[in-house]
Formats: sequence, C-alpha cells, structure tokens
Amino acid sequence: MISICVKNLNKSYRVREGDLPALSAVDMEVAEGEFVSIVGPSGCGKSTLLYILGGFIRADSGAVEVAGKPVTGPGTDRGVVFQEYALFPWLTVTQNIRYGLEMTGVARREREERVRALVRTIGLEGFEHRFPRELSGGMKQRVAIARTLAYDPNILLLDEPFGALDAQTRETMQDELLRIWQATRKTVVMVTHDVNEAVYLSERVLVMSQRPGQMVAEFRIAIDRSGNRETTMLNADFNSVRNEVWLAVRRQVVAASAA
Amino acid sequence: MSAVPAARPGGTQRRWLQTPWRFLPIAIVLLIWQLAVDLDLVNRAFLPPVNAVAAALWDMTRNGELAINLAISVYRAFAGLAIGSILGIAIGLAMATSPQADGFFGPLVATTYSLPKSSLIPLFILWFGIGDVTDIVSVVLACLLPVIVSTYHGVKSVPALLVWSARAMGTPHYLVLWRVLLPGALLSIFTGIRIALGFCFVLTISAEMIAAKTGLGKLIFLYGENGAYAYMFGGILAVVIIAYLADRWLLTVMHYALRWHESLHTHHRAP
Amino acid sequence: MNRFIPITAPPEAASAARRGVAALRAFLLYAYPLLLVLAAWELAGWADLVRPLFLPRVISVAQQFWLLLREGEIIAPLLVSLYRTFLGLAIAVVAGVMAGLLMARSKWVNWFLDPLISVGFPAPKIAFVPIFTLWFGIDHVSNILLVAFNCVFPMIVATYHGAASVSRTLVWSAEAMGTSERAMLYRIVLPAALPHILSGVRVTVPVALIITFTTEMIAGGGGVGAALMFAQRFFQTPTVFVYILVMLATGLIFDRAMLVLRHRLIPWHDEIEEV
Repeated sequence: MISICVKNLNKSYRVREGDLPALSAVDMEVAEGEFVSIVGPSGCGKSTLLYILGGFIRADSGAVEVAGKPVTGPGTDRGVVFQEYALFPWLTVTQNIRYGLEMTGVARREREERVRALVRTIGLEGFEHRFPRELSGGMKQRVAIARTLAYDPNILLLDEPFGALDAQTRETMQDELLRIWQATRKTVVMVTHDVNEAVYLSERVLVMSQRPGQMVAEFRIAIDRSGNRETTMLNADFNSVRNEVWLAVRRQVVAASAA
Repeated sequence: MSAVPAARPGGTQRRWLQTPWRFLPIAIVLLIWQLAVDLDLVNRAFLPPVNAVAAALWDMTRNGELAINLAISVYRAFAGLAIGSILGIAIGLAMATSPQADGFFGPLVATTYSLPKSSLIPLFILWFGIGDVTDIVSVVLACLLPVIVSTYHGVKSVPALLVWSARAMGTPHYLVLWRVLLPGALLSIFTGIRIALGFCFVLTISAEMIAAKTGLGKLIFLYGENGAYAYMFGGILAVVIIAYLADRWLLTVMHYALRWHESLHTHHRAP
Repeated sequence: MNRFIPITAPPEAASAARRGVAALRAFLLYAYPLLLVLAAWELAGWADLVRPLFLPRVISVAQQFWLLLREGEIIAPLLVSLYRTFLGLAIAVVAGVMAGLLMARSKWVNWFLDPLISVGFPAPKIAFVPIFTLWFGIDHVSNILLVAFNCVFPMIVATYHGAASVSRTLVWSAEAMGTSERAMLYRIVLPAALPHILSGVRVTVPVALIITFTTEMIAGGGGVGAALMFAQRFFQTPTVFVYILVMLATGLIFDRAMLVLRHRLIPWHDEIEEV
C-alpha cells in the first residue's frame, strides 16, 4: 500500500532578488509502514519537502497525496516532530502530551490513561507538571515525540528531530525511535543531515541534490537490526552501505560548494 | 514600538537588596528633606517639612477626603485601563491575524500614535462635560495604543512552528487564536498593559487637574490654589504610592501568569 | 504593520506621470481608513447630524487654521512649546545618560538610585505640576524642569540597560589594555550603549511633548497647550481642532525625525526597526 505519493513537485521561494528555487521535479513514494530518510547537503530543500508533506506550505506545482488523497493542509493523520521541539512553553509535560488527544476528542478516561502510559514510556515520571523551560534538550525531545504519538497518527514526519541534541543523547533517542517504530510500524519520513543516523534507522535512504533539490539516489538498507547498537554499528554491511550513502551525499555537497 | 525596558534596573542580585533595606535611599532622601527645612536651608513656604506633610496625609485619611477622591480616581483609571486593554488586545489580535484588519487599523494606529491623548481632554470636555465620561474615555484612548502595538508584535512573534504543530494536532483555526497565539503573546501583552498602566494614571490626573469636580488630581490642584501646601504634597505623595503599588501588583500577576516563561526566569531581576 | 511604501514603476515605464499615479494609488490604498474618517466627519457635518459646536465642518477647521496661522497664533505658541520640550529633553538626556552610566558601573550609585527610580518610574509625574508652579512660577522654567523630571527616568533606565548589556569580554579586553575608569565610561560603555540610549530618546521625545502640552493645559503660561485650553473655555471648537491637529503633526514629524536620526547615527547597528 502506498502511503505517501509525491509526483513532480516544484517549489520556489520569493525573495527580494527574484525567485529562489527550493525543489525541482521531486518524485517520491513511501509504502505503508516504511521508514524512509531523506538526506542531502544543507539548504537542499529537504525540510521544505517535509513541510509540504505536512501541509504547512504549498508546492508551486506537482501532486502530493497521502493515502490516496491530496494534501490540502495539516492534519492529524500526519504527526510532526520538529528539531526545535515546538512544545507549548506555557503547558506542562502532561498538558503538552494531552493536547493532541484533546483536539481529536478522545474521551477523558482514555486520554489520561494514554498520557500516563506515554509519560512512563519516555521515562519522565516525576516531571509531569514541569514546564518545558525546566527540561533538558533530550527530555524536551522525548515530550515532543510522546505528544505526537499520543493521538496515534498514521504517519510520522520528523524534521531533524535529534539535531539539537548532544551526540550521546542523540544515540539514545535514535534507539528509542527505532524501538517505537518496530513496535508500532508507522510510516516514517525523516529528514536528517546525519548519514549515520539515516542508515542506522531507515529501510530506505533518499539522497537529494543541492538546491534546487531533486532526488538523485536511493539506497535500500537491508541490514540486520535484530541486535543492539554495538552489533549494528560494527557490522560490515552496515558500514559499507553507510559509506556508499555518505559518498553520494558528499558528491552533492562538493557540487554545491563548487557551484 | 521599541521597548523601553520596562523592568527596573536590576543591578546586582544581592539578597539584601530584596529586603526593606532597599528603600533606605528613600529614607535618606526624606531625611535630607526634613533637615533642609529644619535647618532653614529651604524656605518653609515652598517646601513643607516631612512631618507636616505626614500630618496632612493623616488628616486627609482620617476625614475620608483621601479615601473618597482616591477611590474616584482609581475607578476612572482602572475602568479606562480595563476597557482599553480588552479592546487593545482584540484589535491587536485582529491586526496580527488578518491582513484586512491590519490594513484598516494600521494607518489609524500609526497616525494617532504621535498624538498626545491629553490634548483630547479639552475636546471631550466640550463633548461630554466635566466628569467621569471624559476621564474614562481619555484613559481608554491612551491605553489602547500601547496594548494594540504590543499585542500585535507579540502575536506576530509566536513561532510558526507552534502554530504548525497545533494545526497538525487538529486545532481548528478559531482555537489557534485562543490556545496558541494569545498564550504565546502573553509576555508582550503584559508589557503593553504595564505601559498602559502608567498612562492611565497620567491621563486621569491630567484630566482631573485640567477640569474636574472630584478626584485626586482635583484635590491636589485645589490645595495648591488655596495655599495648603502640606496637604498638596500629601496628595501628590498618595498618588505616587498608589501608582507604585498598582505597578507592583501588576508585576506580581504577570510573574504568576508567566511562570512558564523562559527568559523571565533566567534573568535575575531585582523586584 | 503596514508602512507606506511607494510602489516604484518598472524601469521601462520611467515617465514621471506614471510614477506619480502609482504613488498616489499606493498612498490611497494605505491611507484609506484615514480618508474614511475624514469622509465620515464631513458627512456628519453636511447631513447636520451634529451641531457645529461639537463637530465643526472640515472646511471651517481649515479656514480657522489659515486664520490663526496668518495671525501668528500657530507658530509663536508652537515655538514656545518646542523650546520648552527641547530644553527639558536635553537636560533629561544629559542627566539621565550620566546617571545611567554611573549606575551601571558603580554599585553604590546603583543601590542609591534604584529605589528612587523604581518608585518614580510608574508615578504619574504630571501630578507634580503644582509643586513646580509653586517653586518656579508659571512660565518657562517650571515647564522645562517638569519635562526634564519626567524624561529623566526613561533615559536612566534605557542608558542603564544599554550600559549593563555591554559584553563582559569587551570590558575585560579594555581593562586588560589599561583603560582608566573614566575612559572606560566614555570610550567603551557609552558607544556600546548608544543604540539603547537612542532608543530611549526616541521613546522619550513623545513623552516630553506630552508633558509640555499637558502642563500648559493645566497651568497655562503660553504655548500650544495653553492656547488649546483658552479656546476650549470660550467654546471655540474649530480652534480646538486646529490645535489638536497641530499637536498631532508635531508628534508625527518628531517621530519621523527620530527614525532618520537613528539610521544616521548608528549605521553599524543591525537591530530590526519596528514601527
């Protein structure tokens, strides 16, 4: 089943000096339950693509369909996690997690149960009534993910979700995400500039060119993820695929700076 | 509106600054005042000694004159502030979310910004006569602008990501206003209200001094005309104290309502 | 907030007439609410909805303006008011900047002035008019000093914040290079605080104008405020409107002037300009 279908997408930003092309004839398909990452040089438009998928901005031309229907705006079928967490600073941890459930009209008892379970899952018991300003970056990101998972969207759109975290927290969160995905099998589209992360987590990695972004390469990641991080990272297959992807991105980066 | 830092100069964070020791300089000033008069450095006719002012203040309190006029002035000031703030928030919100509203109110705001609202008091006296209506309308107009501008800027600075997240989680458009834009703009709105609080007293006292039958401004003016200078000073002191207490009260409310706010709590501000 | 931005025609259609029309169109699109107000005003008068005592016809206000202008009743009082405003402002800026800088650099000065400013800032200092008239009479001096009294507070606060926010590393570098305290104030802290100070001045100029006009309305003694009160007492409504508009125009001109001045004086500062 095709969950997300993008055909011939074009997007330009209007700036003072004229038009800044961001995406050019982008095609993409994501199957249901698939974990796909998009990588590419900085400024190549990968976040723009994600925002269009999320329905926050509109493409200039081309088609974007989710579950067979065109995307007209944001919706509860596509949960989003931003790099800057986008937590509501005036709400506590539980209030933030509860928010989507309130909006989708979930009954109170079930709402509270889900919130409690999620707080437990992300390991923030005792922090229920704290405000985001009192949390560390990793904690904030966990709340952001929990908030998005709470109302059970079919698709998860992640925009460099771990970009603002330090390296160790990032690894922990990646494993967390992998675990959640393996348990729930949601469709995931993740944008990241970290090739390691992309190969570690995804089943497919799409490489975008420099601006204006186009899909230039696709890699199927068929590695064995049944072990733990150590076994995966030291796996020879993993490293060879990772190197290939890195090289593909590297070429785009070099082309971008030569341009 | 470029923000005049509305917080007081915080200075250092010493603990003893937070205690009554903080007001010692004021006591020192009062002492100098008293000494200057007692030692005949200043003419008693122009500067009544502190004890005379205190006695006058006490007398005014005792015979109810202070209470009545204070209540009247405070009523006018706060009624105007409340109306002006509510209207201001509504208009600011509209301007920040609707290009049509912005196109309509924007030029009006930009033009009347530079008009001293106290200049309208004589006009209002012509229209409404001397009394509450004139005062309250003047106060409303003076409070509108700072609240409109600060609400507008506050709403405009709410990060788009917050609105996007809310929409992705199923928030309908009308709820985005109430649950995302207003809380996100709250710090800015409070800052505007604090500025408006300053204005509301100025306009009330101005209007009462220009022409009024009642109120603290009128009282002070009357005492001045009749040469009861100790009473005049007392009345002015009362005004200063009330305005200060009102500002502190607003600050307390603000800190409670914004207890979640990051930058309010990372800086150390002397109260 | 919409700013009036004249639409410039594409370079090919360089005719002045075309550009003029485009500019006019842009102006109308921007200022239509003001024109609506003007139209409503004129309509109310034309349809006899209000008595001229309360709302004179637009034309009679315009006529009164020319009359007063010819008789010197506009320029003369305006000059008086502006003289008072500027002098008071100048005193406040000098005193305020000095006090603010000292507060930022000396903890004793800070300790002493802080409560005085905390209490003084929110106080409606217009209430001090009777004190100033008692001490200095009704003419220029009391007005100027009251303006200074009002304006010194925001100037101190603005300067203090500017001076206090000078980056520590900047100060340390200067200290390491042997800067004396006096030189520190004038050559490091003051320039670094200049954007804040100019912001403070920009906000304080309207305050100075308001206090000048209001004091004149309360105490008299010449100036536009006194002229306004005089007209009101004799129910000369068109004159009242004229003076209100004069005050409005004065405020607008000064606000614009401050914007221009700011750009000229601190071109290196990249703060985003707001309305």
